[in-house]
Amino acid sequence: MRLRTLLLSIALATMAPALPALAHHGWTWAVDELSELTGTVKAVYVGNPHATLDLDVDGVVWHVELAPPGPTMATGFTEETVKPGDQVTAIGNRSKDPNETRMKAVRITAGGKNYDIYPARVPQD
Amino acid sequence: MEEALGAIEQLGVVQALKTSFFAYPVVNALHILAIGALVTTVILMDLKLLGLFDEMPEPHFIRLLRRIALGAFVVASATGLALFSVRASEYAAMPLFWAKMGLIGLAALNFIAFITIRNGPRRVFALVSITLWPLALLAGRFLGFVL
Repeated sequence: MRLRTLLLSIALATMAPALPALAHHGWTWAVDELSELTGTVKAVYVGNPHATLDLDVDGVVWHVELAPPGPTMATGFTEETVKPGDQVTAIGNRSKDPNETRMKAVRITAGGKNYDIYPARVPQD
Repeated sequence: MEEALGAIEQLGVVQALKTSFFAYPVVNALHILAIGALVTTVILMDLKLLGLFDEMPEPHFIRLLRRIALGAFVVASATGLALFSVRASEYAAMPLFWAKMGLIGLAALNFIAFITIRNGPRRVFALVSITLWPLALLAGRFLGFVL
């Protein structure tokens, strides 16, 4: 019986792999400092699970993550706000992995207007 | 392929799910619920085949758990298709998505082989199953964090 309990425990332990790495929800994967990216829009998506913006920055495509659709649209930013070819600036936290061209944005500036996706994280000037 | 995936994304019901505040998390929760039921019942059946719970008569045990597992598989597939459809082209471009589909496909083939081959190596089927299903779950969970 003790062997069975052990077997069962091993089986249960192997099926509960809590692996926090690789997380692209939240900011755990991004650096603490804010930085700025300016490029042209390649693709825009405002929907679940979260909105994304692909920016061409000097020939390199950056994958910019915004908030879930509700909070993103609450700032006034929709899929109609920008279109491919538009010039956009994103302020946010870059990936900790220097080879990964990915950013979690806190503010998007497009057409002379600021969209504060995470207002509490936008530096006060 | 590209066009078909784009067409899926443009469907009215998919567009509604895309920006919905309630429906998407509910579909997501149902997907997780179904996967939980599926993987749990599969593991219990595998452990039974591997010799655990031998105080319980196998036919009753398997009949009950298999019903739950098959029902959960249907719910998981339907909700999974709904979640996929919202960003069909992005998911279809991800190797991890196809790795997950491959694992599910292999696990399904293993199940079909198990119920078709009489006097087959039951413990081998059980070991394959108890390996593949949790791996498929793991692949799916990583998928939710990389898109």
